[in-house]
Amino acid sequence: MQLLRSRSSLLAILLVIIIVIMSMLNPSFLSINNLLGVTQFGAVLALIAIGQSLVIISGNGGIDLSVGSMVSLSGVFIGLAMSAGLNIWIAAFIGILGGLLLGMINAFVISIVNMPPFIATLGAMYLYGSLALVLTGGNPISGFPQEFSFIGQGLVAGIPSQIILIVIPVFLLICFLVYKTTFGRSIYLIGSNQTAARYANINVKKTRFIVFSLSGLMAGIASIIMTSWLMTARADAGFGMELEAITVAVLGGIHIFGGLGHLGGVMMAVLTITILSSGLQMANVNSIWQLAILGFVLIGAVFLNQFLNKDNSKK
Amino acid sequence: MFKSYVPKPGRREYFTILLVGVEIIFFSLFADNFLTASNLTQIIQNSAELAIICIGMTLVIIAGGIDLSVGSILGVVAVIVGNAILLGLNPILIVFIAILSGLVLGFVNGAIVAWLRIPAIIVTLATMNIGKALVFMLLGGAWLTGLPPVFNGLTTYKILGLPVVFYIVLFMYAVFYYIFTYRPFGRHVYAVGTNPESAKLAGINHKMIQIATHSILGGLVGIAAVMYIARMGSVEMTVGHDLPLQVIAAVIIGGTAITGGRGSLVGTLAGVFFITIMKNGIVIMGIPSLWENSIIGTLILLSLTFDIVMQKRVEKKKLMTV
Repeated sequence: MQLLRSRSSLLAILLVIIIVIMSMLNPSFLSINNLLGVTQFGAVLALIAIGQSLVIISGNGGIDLSVGSMVSLSGVFIGLAMSAGLNIWIAAFIGILGGLLLGMINAFVISIVNMPPFIATLGAMYLYGSLALVLTGGNPISGFPQEFSFIGQGLVAGIPSQIILIVIPVFLLICFLVYKTTFGRSIYLIGSNQTAARYANINVKKTRFIVFSLSGLMAGIASIIMTSWLMTARADAGFGMELEAITVAVLGGIHIFGGLGHLGGVMMAVLTITILSSGLQMANVNSIWQLAILGFVLIGAVFLNQFLNKDNSKK
Repeated sequence: MFKSYVPKPGRREYFTILLVGVEIIFFSLFADNFLTASNLTQIIQNSAELAIICIGMTLVIIAGGIDLSVGSILGVVAVIVGNAILLGLNPILIVFIAILSGLVLGFVNGAIVAWLRIPAIIVTLATMNIGKALVFMLLGGAWLTGLPPVFNGLTTYKILGLPVVFYIVLFMYAVFYYIFTYRPFGRHVYAVGTNPESAKLAGINHKMIQIATHSILGGLVGIAAVMYIARMGSVEMTVGHDLPLQVIAAVIIGGTAITGGRGSLVGTLAGVFFITIMKNGIVIMGIPSLWENSIIGTLILLSLTFDIVMQKRVEKKKLMTV
């Protein structure tokens, strides 16, 4: 808890600095409308960052490079199901199931076949990403019914609906799962000491399987928001999101070798990165620079974590 | 004990060579224009860059690392080389600049991995994206075209019917085969990849090995960048975006263990030909190139699964005999 508090306050200070700089560059940045609008951008990132964080916490080289491609491919599933004439909400459900299935394929390869996560998900990243291209033939799928835009663009009580209807409930549910159940504790335990976890009669394979499947499930849910927001299903919708998700997780205090970090910090980091990138967008900075900045933030954040947890980093 | 680490080609490497043979037979049967002299020369020409970079990637992976930033390094160096050509510099000087700038970029990766103790996958994921932005900035949003054909001789000039790049590749593989097999540095790379702790206890500076392998990879990518310019005559915006996938796939299909400590250049070369022939065959058979990455991605997963299953069987057998 001590760690959480310090990381959260660190990020809060960073956030204030970013907001002050951005509002000096552009006075309209500080308006309530803009700040609320900004949270829209963060919804997709928040979901996949939750999945990514759990994967990294579960340790043993845990990382999921395929999240971006899973968001793209799940979105394509929604588009194809909609084009096939299905009701849009059933199509959205197919998107969730599709994401879960993709995550389970990763989970199978990693926890049952025993492949190192980084290479399994790297292969999956290219596989899913190019499957999305193949399925759409490179052309975005459009023609979504108007009511579908409610998720990504609507408001509930003045708050973007994807935040209040999806992100907050999912976050609370995951927090309950991770911090109030034995399953959640076992994620942390296999991340900090897999051997000890096995002696404690924890089914390491099963836990890891669920964690990687969850990451796919989160990507599936995120793809609904993404698709509803763009109102098209694009094969490159999730491009570069793996970098964003990993950066946010690490910036939020998740230790890259697993076992340490809190999801609360990750949410603060999502807020920080979202406000930063929307500020950069308002300042007309090319999006490829945002990827570069994320790259620097990623290395800096991992270094910061190692530095703060010196004792743990030596293992 | 020491002898078992000598990277002489074993059963796994022969298996990849066999796969290449099967692949050649397959495409000869099902693709009409595959088995022509001009197409085979084309394959050799197109494999050169991949082959050179894969030497370095084999080193990095054997030492227990990985590098996703090869494409970005290639891009940055290619832009530098392109501009150097436009300035009219001496070609030999340009090659020197290319190797040096690749070396520096690789060194940055290696230094962050070794000194800041950050996993290579994280570091190179970050530098890959930083590199992409760097290429974008250096190109200013447009292709670099209209380069004078300074290096075209590399691909157009032929000795015994084969382009010069083929001999460069052969030469580099010979040099690095010697280093892998007979120099202490080669042994140290294997030792660090097999068990960093015991390598450290054996007096091997594992940080230097990490930095050196990444730097060598960078330098080799620099050479490949010159070949890229020779082949393309221009630098496009998305230069090298699919390169990491192909390089890593070739090395893994060639039998290098992704967890480090095992692998050989013979296998890697076979892996390179496997990937290049497959890309060529896909084009000739008229399959949309959109499929390319899915096929290569699937191949990575299949190849690794195969290796892991075989490994388990070997371990089981060992247990039975003990």
